[in-house]
Amino acid sequence: MEEKQGMAKVLAIIPGLAFMILTLFVLRTYVEPWMENVVVMGQKGWLVKVLSLNYILLSILTGMFYRNVIFGGKIPDWAAEGFRTTRLFIKSGVIMLGSLYTIQGLLKVGGIAITLIFSFVFGTILFVIWFGGRNKMDRSLIGVMAASCGVCGVSAAVATTPAVRAKPADVALAIATILGFGIFTMFISPAIGHLLHLSDYQFGAWVGTGILNSGQVLATCLAYNPDIAPGTAVAYGEIWNVVRVISIPFVVFFITLWYWRSEAQAEHISLVKIIKEKFPLFIFGFLGMTALSSFGMLGAEGSETIHLMRQVMSWIFGLGLVGQGAYIDIRELKAAGGAPLKVGLAAGAIKYVLALVVVLLFVAKEANF
Amino acid sequence: MMKILLALDPSTQTMDEAIKIATDKQASLTALFVLDTTWNDYTAHDWLSGSGSRADFLEYARDHEFVSETECAATFRKRCPFQCEVKSATGRVSDEITRELIEGEYDLLVMSHPFRRGLEVVRDTAGKILKDITCSVYLVQTNPPALFSRNGSASLP
Repeated sequence: MEEKQGMAKVLAIIPGLAFMILTLFVLRTYVEPWMENVVVMGQKGWLVKVLSLNYILLSILTGMFYRNVIFGGKIPDWAAEGFRTTRLFIKSGVIMLGSLYTIQGLLKVGGIAITLIFSFVFGTILFVIWFGGRNKMDRSLIGVMAASCGVCGVSAAVATTPAVRAKPADVALAIATILGFGIFTMFISPAIGHLLHLSDYQFGAWVGTGILNSGQVLATCLAYNPDIAPGTAVAYGEIWNVVRVISIPFVVFFITLWYWRSEAQAEHISLVKIIKEKFPLFIFGFLGMTALSSFGMLGAEGSETIHLMRQVMSWIFGLGLVGQGAYIDIRELKAAGGAPLKVGLAAGAIKYVLALVVVLLFVAKEANF
Repeated sequence: MMKILLALDPSTQTMDEAIKIATDKQASLTALFVLDTTWNDYTAHDWLSGSGSRADFLEYARDHEFVSETECAATFRKRCPFQCEVKSATGRVSDEITRELIEGEYDLLVMSHPFRRGLEVVRDTAGKILKDITCSVYLVQTNPPALFSRNGSASLP
C-alpha cells in the first residue's frame, strides 16, 4: 500500500477511526447495558459479573471479530490508517493515567512494585535462558524470548531483536506465542480474581507482574474493574506496568551482554547508549501528569476537570482496545510452535501462577496510598 | 507461450521444480520476490516501547528483507540455465503475488508450501492466494527449516 503524506494521511485516518468510534458507542450505549440486565444461568448480569464482559473485553472481542470474520484476516485499506491510531490512543491514555497518582503515593507503592517486578523480571529471564538452552533453541531467539517473557511481551521483543541479531521470522513466531498466552490470561484473570476475592490492589499487583504484555495488563485491570480512579485495579496495575516498562533498557543491556559474551565477534555494549535509544519517553509524560496531580493543578478529587479527564480516558482505552482486537489474527497466533512455544508457555505459566501465590501470601488487601 | 510465475522464498527445491516445469513446457519463467512491509502492523501490540526501539526494529526487519531478496535472487539466477526475469515488489506478500498473477496473466504459479517469506511464516499464503486467482497452482511441499535449532539455517532444501 502506498504511504500517504500530510493531509491525505489525516483524511485516510477518518473512515477507520469513525468505524472504531461507532463500534465503541454501540458497545457502551446498547450492548453493555443489555448484558447487565440479561439473565443468564439464573442470574441477572451474569455475563458482566462473572465473565467480566464489560465494554473493555467487548471492545477487544469485537475488534477480533472484525479482523477474523468480517475482514477475513486483513484490515481493509479503507480502515487501515484509522486502526493504526490505536497505539497513539493507548499511549495518550497511559500518560493521562499518571494523573491518578501523587508523588508520595508512588513512593509508597513504588518500593513494593520495584522489588516484585525486578525479582520476577530477572527470575523469568534466567529461567528462559536455562530452559531455552535445554531445548536447544538458537541463542538469539532465547534472548528475544527472555525479554518478552520477562518484561512486557511484544515491546520487549521489538527492543531486543536487533541487539541479539535475531531473525525476524523467528521473532514473528515468538510474538505469536506471547500474544496467544497473553490473550488467554486476559480473559481468565478477572474470573480468577473474583473467585479468590482479590482486592483491586492485589489484582493490579498480580496481573501487573504475571501477564506478559503491557496492553493486556491494562485491559485485564479494566475488565476487572472498569472504573478509572485512584485505588482501582487499573491504577495499581499500571504502576506495576510502568515499573516494568522502565526496566526495558536494563533488560536489553543484560540480555545483550549475555548474548555477546559467547559470540566470537563481541560488540561494544554501552548501557548509556541503550538507555538513550530504548528508554520509553512516554514515561516522562506519565510522571509529568503525576507531578501536576501532586501539586493539585488538575483540580481536587471529584472536580469537573478530573471527571472529564477520566471519561476521556475510558473512551480512549475503549477505542484503543477495539483497534487492538483488530490486530489479533487467530490464524497467525496458531502458527506458534516448536521450542519457543514450549519455553514461552512454561515461563509464562510459572510466572503467572507464582505471581498469584506471592500476591496472596505477601500483598495486603488494601494499599496505603 | 505458457507463462509461469515462481514466488520466491529460500527453498531451492521449489526453484528447481519451477525451472524443470518451464524447461519441459518450453514456458517463460518469471520469479517474484516480495519484500514484506507488514511488520509495522504485526507488531502493533507493542504499545509502549522506547523512543527508538520500534524504528530500530522496523529498520532491522527491512534490512533483513533486502538481504533475503539479494540471496534468493542470486540463488535462483545461479540455478536457472536459461533466460529468466526476476521481479521485486513490496507489500503484503500474498497480495503482491496475486496482483502479479492477475496483471501478468500467468498460466501457472509455483510456490513453496508452507511459504517461508517474511511474516508469511505465520500465515497461510497459498490458502489466501487460492481464493483470489483462477490460474493453476503447483505447490511444492517443503520441510520447515530448522528455525529454532542452535545452529539452524533458514535455507530450505
